[in-house]
Amino acid sequence: MSSGSNDVKPLFSLSGNKGETAKGDSISSMGEVDSFSNDMLDELKLVYPGMAGQAVLNVFRGLRTRLMKASGGKNFSCLVTSVCSKGGASHIVRNLGAAISLDKSKTSLLIDANLYNPSLADLVIGEPEQGLTDYLSETESGLSIKDIVYATGVPRMRVIPLGGNGEAAAEYFSSRKMVGFAEEICKRYSDRFIFFDSPPLLEASETQILFDIVDFVLLVVPYGRATHEQVEEAIEKIDRSKLVGIVYNH
Amino acid sequence: MDFSTIVRYSSVVLHEIWAHKYKCLFAFTFVSFIVLLLGSKWPSKFESSATIFADNQNILRPLLNDQAAQSNLQDQARIVRDMLHSPRMLSQVVDKIYGLSSFSGGDEIGSAINRLRDKLIVKGLGRNYIKISFHDDSADQSYTVLNTVIDLFLKESSEEKRSESREAFLFIENQVKQYKDQLVAAESRLKEFNSTNLDGRDIDVEASIARVRQQMEELKLGIDEDRTAINTLTRQLEDESEYAVRQTTSTVYFERLQELESRLQTLLLTYTEDYPDVVSLQYQIADIKAAIEEAGRSDSKASDEEDVSFNPLYQELRSRLSTSKTDLSIKQKRLDALNELLESEYERRKRIAARAAEEAELTRDYTVTKRIYEDMLERKERARLSMTLNVEGQGVTYRVQDPPLPPLNPTGLRFLHFVLVGPVLGFMFVLGGVLAYIMFDPRIRFISQLPLAGADLLAEVPHMSSPSETKRFHMHIVYCTLLSLLVLSVYVAIAFAFKFGVFK
Repeated sequence: MSSGSNDVKPLFSLSGNKGETAKGDSISSMGEVDSFSNDMLDELKLVYPGMAGQAVLNVFRGLRTRLMKASGGKNFSCLVTSVCSKGGASHIVRNLGAAISLDKSKTSLLIDANLYNPSLADLVIGEPEQGLTDYLSETESGLSIKDIVYATGVPRMRVIPLGGNGEAAAEYFSSRKMVGFAEEICKRYSDRFIFFDSPPLLEASETQILFDIVDFVLLVVPYGRATHEQVEEAIEKIDRSKLVGIVYNH
Repeated sequence: MDFSTIVRYSSVVLHEIWAHKYKCLFAFTFVSFIVLLLGSKWPSKFESSATIFADNQNILRPLLNDQAAQSNLQDQARIVRDMLHSPRMLSQVVDKIYGLSSFSGGDEIGSAINRLRDKLIVKGLGRNYIKISFHDDSADQSYTVLNTVIDLFLKESSEEKRSESREAFLFIENQVKQYKDQLVAAESRLKEFNSTNLDGRDIDVEASIARVRQQMEELKLGIDEDRTAINTLTRQLEDESEYAVRQTTSTVYFERLQELESRLQTLLLTYTEDYPDVVSLQYQIADIKAAIEEAGRSDSKASDEEDVSFNPLYQELRSRLSTSKTDLSIKQKRLDALNELLESEYERRKRIAARAAEEAELTRDYTVTKRIYEDMLERKERARLSMTLNVEGQGVTYRVQDPPLPPLNPTGLRFLHFVLVGPVLGFMFVLGGVLAYIMFDPRIRFISQLPLAGADLLAEVPHMSSPSETKRFHMHIVYCTLLSLLVLSVYVAIAFAFKFGVFK
């Protein structure tokens, strides 16, 4: 990989903390934009060191540790899906990314595959122009992966937004290009942890297509929304070897 | 349910109340106002009560020692209640209060009586005190009705008691007459029976039979004895007649010889052998001896009938034999006679047994009638005493202990109670509703309900609020508090409005 902001659009690289001391070449090569202030992090409901509710931070740290243990310390791609809508899968995804990024030797990449309720774009400072669906629908090789990866206000956390081409996403997700995309982003950096935000499992069929391209599936059960039967049905749908566990979200 | 469960539930309940805060507030308001409305429509109840003393302690009681029957104390309250609730009594009350002419039909009077009966409550208060209470919408009405009821009751009870005991006496007297007639009839039947009964009683027959049997036994023994005697005598007579024929002459000589020899011995004690008396005796002895030898020879030759008839023993034996035979014959005759007598006694016994059943029936009839008659006679006297007592106003009398007073305050649930209970019930309703919602809603609210099905529970993520959300939350709290205060103010205002008759 060439040095420079290969993953980040030059638009945001102007004010980034370039040359931040980091372990690997790949990390030091990542350009950083302005960090979010604590108030903004609070507003975005993101965990950060020194936040008021340390209990929440510790929960996400613990969750991060459990996932690391499951992967044996290697980097992985994990799909987070909720049993039903408004389940808080995006919230879990962005905070897991933030928790991973607390470690200066690791980076996280959040991919918004939540076709019906995309939300990760607001982590990006400024307006992202293109996203995952734009990349997948581009038959010509005019758009590369680096064009759709955006820096966020959280250090060492990157986002691929959904993009503006949401029609027929199911077809894109099952395409060979999607498989190649997943392999590439996962293998390019050994310290990068990938998290997919996906639609609710029982309400969208696309989620199940994504199971094939990830290492783990994390199921989110929201408080007071899912019934016993729905949770059982969701667990049934996920391949046991990929289901890393359940998170109960208040 | 331990403490941790309560904490768990209360946090979920609070969460759910907050999630449905406007619905909850509406339910609270609705229930509170319904209760308030109910309270405003609730009729106030005025109760009048009086205590009646059932006086049973009178001066005659110890003197009479239970001879006169007196009403039982334990059931006084029940008796009073039955009397007060009787349609006769209540219709009189209705007549006095409203006037029967004010009702158009029997149905209306009936329903008025039923209303009175429902509101008239009689309760025993320990030993002789009975509380009578009446409640109504208006204080005056309840007082008037109770007064009327008690006046009527006191009048009725004394009259009724008198007539009751008089009727009881007349009834018993009538019964006594009937039983007396029956008794006389039974007595005459028994007398008639006894007069035609000549066989006597079975005890007499048994005694007679026993006596006859004993006599027969004795007779049989006597007959046996006689037969033995006859046999013996006959044998002896046979022996005796033969012996008497051979020995008679020589026996006479031997006796003479012995006599002479004893005289000789006596003389020899005094005299010598040559004394003339002695010599004479010796000659006589020699003669006798010669005569004995002569007699011995002549006896062996022939016997003489004349000699036999002269034998006294033989005579004696014959005489006794004859007597015995006569006795035997007499005894046989008597035995036959006794046998006949025994047979006739048996016959008599059979006749007596046959009549005994009839006699027992008559006697029983007589005894039973007599006992009942005597009992009735005693009862009659007691009834007469009771009647006399009641006529003189003794026995159980009712006195008014606490006279009824016009009630000042309504009893039972009042408007204030409803005003106070309304918000409490509203809150309870909300709480109960939310609890029921949590119980019956199938969605998972407790982590313990989570079906893991083999998967790991990695984390329980607490709720996070952004600063703007927190601000909104606080605004909602203020808003809800203000709304609740407004609801309560309106509630109190309406309560006061009802109280002071704005809506009336």
